[in-house]
Amino acid sequence: MTDAVRPPSTREQHDPPGEIDLETYRDLTLEERAALGTELDGVEIVHRRERFPVPGTKAEKRAERAVAACFVLAFLGAVAFVVCYVVLPWQYDINSTSYTWFTPVLGVTMALSLIGFGVGAILWAKLLITEEETVQERHSGRSTPEARATTVAVLTDGIAMTGLARRSVLQRALGLSVLALGALAIVPLGGLIKKPRDALFVTGWSTGVRLMNGNRRLIRPGDIEAGGIETVFPATPDGLSTQVVADSVVLLIRLRPGQVVRARPGQQDFGWEDYVAYSKICTHAGCPASLYEQQTGRLLCPCHQSQFDLLQDAKPVFGPAARPLPKLAITVDDEGYFVAKGDFTEPIGPSFWERK
Amino acid sequence: MTERPSTTKGRRPRSRMRRRITGALALAAALGSVGVAYATVAAAATPKAQTVAAANAPANEPVDVRKGRQLYETSCITCHGQNLQGVLDRGPSLIGVGSASVYFQVSTGRMPATQQGAQIPQKKAKFDEDQTQQLAAYVQSVGGGPQIPTGDLRGTDANLAEGGELFRLNCASCHNFAGRGGALSAGKYAPSLDDASDKVIWTAMLSGPQNMPVFSDNQLTTEQKQAITNYIQTLTAQKDPGGSSIGRLGPVPEGLVIWVVGIGAIMLMILWIGAKS
Amino acid sequence: MSQTTTERPAGKRPTSALGRAADWADERYTASRFVRSSLNKVFPDNWSFMMGEIALYSFIILLLTGTYLAFFFDPSMTEVRYDGSYSLLRGVEMSRAFDSTLNISFEVRGGLLMRQIHHWAALLFVAAMVAHMLRVFFTGGFRKPREVNWLLGVGLLTFGILEGFAGYSLPDDLLSGTGLRIAYAIMLSIPIVGTWVAFAVFGSEFPGVDIIPRLYIAHVLLIPGIILALIAVHVGLVVLQKHTQFPGPGRREDNVVGERMYPLYGAKGGGFFFLVFGVLAALAGLFQINPIWLYGPYNPAQVSSGSQPDWYMGFLDGSTRIFPAWEIRFWNYTISPLIWPTVVLPGILFTLLALYPFIEARMTKDRSVHHLLQRPRDVPVRTSLGAMALSFYFVLLISGGNDIIADKFDISLNAMTWIGRISLIVLPPLAYSATYLLCLGLQRHDREVLEHGVETGIIKRLPSGEFIEVHQPLGPVDEHGHGELEYAGAPVPKRMNRLTNPGKKAIGFLRQVPDPGEAPDLGSEAGETDQQATELAGRPKNPD
Repeated sequence: MTDAVRPPSTREQHDPPGEIDLETYRDLTLEERAALGTELDGVEIVHRRERFPVPGTKAEKRAERAVAACFVLAFLGAVAFVVCYVVLPWQYDINSTSYTWFTPVLGVTMALSLIGFGVGAILWAKLLITEEETVQERHSGRSTPEARATTVAVLTDGIAMTGLARRSVLQRALGLSVLALGALAIVPLGGLIKKPRDALFVTGWSTGVRLMNGNRRLIRPGDIEAGGIETVFPATPDGLSTQVVADSVVLLIRLRPGQVVRARPGQQDFGWEDYVAYSKICTHAGCPASLYEQQTGRLLCPCHQSQFDLLQDAKPVFGPAARPLPKLAITVDDEGYFVAKGDFTEPIGPSFWERK
Repeated sequence: MTERPSTTKGRRPRSRMRRRITGALALAAALGSVGVAYATVAAAATPKAQTVAAANAPANEPVDVRKGRQLYETSCITCHGQNLQGVLDRGPSLIGVGSASVYFQVSTGRMPATQQGAQIPQKKAKFDEDQTQQLAAYVQSVGGGPQIPTGDLRGTDANLAEGGELFRLNCASCHNFAGRGGALSAGKYAPSLDDASDKVIWTAMLSGPQNMPVFSDNQLTTEQKQAITNYIQTLTAQKDPGGSSIGRLGPVPEGLVIWVVGIGAIMLMILWIGAKS
Repeated sequence: MSQTTTERPAGKRPTSALGRAADWADERYTASRFVRSSLNKVFPDNWSFMMGEIALYSFIILLLTGTYLAFFFDPSMTEVRYDGSYSLLRGVEMSRAFDSTLNISFEVRGGLLMRQIHHWAALLFVAAMVAHMLRVFFTGGFRKPREVNWLLGVGLLTFGILEGFAGYSLPDDLLSGTGLRIAYAIMLSIPIVGTWVAFAVFGSEFPGVDIIPRLYIAHVLLIPGIILALIAVHVGLVVLQKHTQFPGPGRREDNVVGERMYPLYGAKGGGFFFLVFGVLAALAGLFQINPIWLYGPYNPAQVSSGSQPDWYMGFLDGSTRIFPAWEIRFWNYTISPLIWPTVVLPGILFTLLALYPFIEARMTKDRSVHHLLQRPRDVPVRTSLGAMALSFYFVLLISGGNDIIADKFDISLNAMTWIGRISLIVLPPLAYSATYLLCLGLQRHDREVLEHGVETGIIKRLPSGEFIEVHQPLGPVDEHGHGELEYAGAPVPKRMNRLTNPGKKAIGFLRQVPDPGEAPDLGSEAGETDQQATELAGRPKNPD
């Protein structure tokens, strides 16, 4: 510590208030006593001005009335709030609109009351409270050399008292135990860890699972007109549960006459006549990509505007998505219902590290 | 149902850009209709056209079909052809579109269109309800297809929750959670459902106008269509319990309000607090 | 303080109730001096210093309303059938979280108001933090010795955003559920450990049944606890180091000029709390926010067009929308394009933000202590960097709502994406250059006024026939009639009627009110030495 040899700072430290001469103190006015207090805190009131040096002027009365009016407004607002809270109809009723007044009226009366109170307090400060201009000393920067040096001394002395510097075995043992204690804090979080792998690669679809809509009705080829779409789910008992829907939801599309899908290699037989089925989960961030434009054959995701061209087998043609929507292989079973020919051949939804 | 407040809604304020575009479209519409009128008058003046039209008319044609045919021949024939077969680069074939499609397109003013395109904007209807029905009857009589629904289009309020589920599954993705519409790819858009009548909603579902997918009766049953319509109409008519809806567009207007109204008001207060009295 | 307390040494018992209470406390806690010095703390009086207070007050309001909501909210993902009064959802399957939020909105009298105050307060909390941070940035308030408080501020902003997102997700509605699914996708996108992270947070493949209860405990205990601790240290450091202040007559590095906490500033600051609360109540009454009954319960098969997060997440949504589809595949592994705009970009942005005080200190070699703030024009490089960063952020934020803008202003959605992509690259450099030129222009004008005086509007004809405008010098002039005042970092009066009021509540000005024709002597009051004048002008002291 080189500071220790520096000359003591010229800046004065705060003197603790010395013995107050009570005889003198008694003779002081209230203002002078308070000024003594501020002085002890390093605060100087350089300017102090009564707003209304002559009491009882018209201007003062006016200021006082303005402040009082604000507090009265606060009172009235609060009363109105309580009355409205008790009296106004508030419960939703489909055949009425009277409930729509409840929240706005409560909010406005509450605001009136709060703003009235706040404006009253601030007006009081601006109009009535004695104006002042105050300067407080700022003692920033380094402590005094004595303080710095002695603090270091105490710290170093403490280490010396423990003898830690000499006891290397103890040092290592202590370090080891601290590490272990750290592990105690972190390891129980292992309860959060779940092995992710398989769930990400499978959905609720498998060979022979029928397609159903949100009302559990099975889908036949005649159900959808050309240019129509239907959101479908695996027709299993839990096919509409949130967990299954989250990765199995599929958009079944019947193309318009003349629209032809150029299928990916190896997936030529995934569609059925003019029907195609794609995962509804966007390959970008997992929103349901379901804004289907039946004339252009484009499918838009509303979250980040990825656009997929169904006629190019759901290839992403605009926006941030990088991969086409996975295609579900479908056919029609003996009883005339749509069925899946198997699960998706790739993971649905957004990309992740282990995805090939 | 009878005590339900009326569904009259103020037109939402339009942006300047929107006004300009609509202005331009109105001008184009006016010029276009003059051109169409001239063309049809000229066509009607030739005896050959008259004979063809006369030949098209069956002997025992119902009155509304006949009137519809007359309207068709003055306003639609140039783009959709004499036998509804369509005209290359002008208008598509109307065979099989059905009266539902005609009703949707004509009653919302989309047809007659001023120009062909993927997105034909809604405008003031050129034909009144009767004329629209007559046109629809004519097109129906020639090509068949989905028909204008009749009877109860809403059902009872017991279907509201089901209608909401179907709406969120099938409609909200384009028309937004409250039917306020939304953007589609490359300048196309799904329109707001604020002013859509029951019949317009039904005929849109049945016919799949423009880029909207078709929802046939086999896919969404009559009861389900009633439920969806009831939900949309109840929702768009419903007053908001929590103050101004600020467009029912989600967090974007909310963010605008907190910065402009919230931070704005508080900044003014701060300036007032700091100002000298 | 009652005078009786101070008379205690004389052995007299205090008589007033206040005096007795003070006496009681002082005998036990020796509190007099602490109380007195707290009451005497001086606050600089400048409007821009109150933005941090907005954030603090919104947080208090969040705690109050949040506690109220917790009486009724059930963070459970158990499926129930809605049977409340909102007919449009009656019979729909939903989680208890959504059901109980509907109940707060429709079955609890005044519950909707509380929900709306809470949500508006959350938006205001983050907005006020951003506004406060911008003030601190552009005035150099983060410089030594306040670097750590800047770091704490960045931490508060980060946790504020996380807290907001967790709260936004709790009702389990269609909009926030979609947001959660995106959050899950973002976790999945992290290379190597992504799937493990996602499963650790969600407890299973999305959505599972754990996420809402976990977000709840994070939202009501973990994150608010951290925020509260950070606020305590943040404010504690302000008390310890005292406020910064703008340069002006009588304001020096080693003082604070303003009003004492008690009674003047306390009345203003306390009143301001009620104003902020009142504005939030008015917003909550007049503007509906997060109408979850319109969104419906979360269902992974459903979505609404125009799905956005709350505004403070908007810049991330925007970056995700306009980032190109660059997916990296090698061997059997994939790096999702999602990682760049949602993890890497905010990581870089917040790191730069946090390190800025240290970067600037290194670049300018300025190691000295600063308690006087700078006017943004006097530090053109920093101001221009800030403008550049703001324009970058603003393009991202706008892109976060580009579908709504496209729909409402009849612009192609694809065009909006491209406008965002191009502006993100083009606008920031433009913003930098424009701001830099603006700063230099403003500086030049200040120097001109100091040299030639204020334009009086009086036109004089010289004997030569030439017309000139008479300028009122601000201070003493040399033989050429040029002002000798140094620029001192404070606003320079530029109109005649500002001459009587340069800087606010200046000591030299108030002690001796000059007549309007006589300009106050700015230079000699503020810059006592050349050294100090240089420093006030925004140039760092010579490092010692």
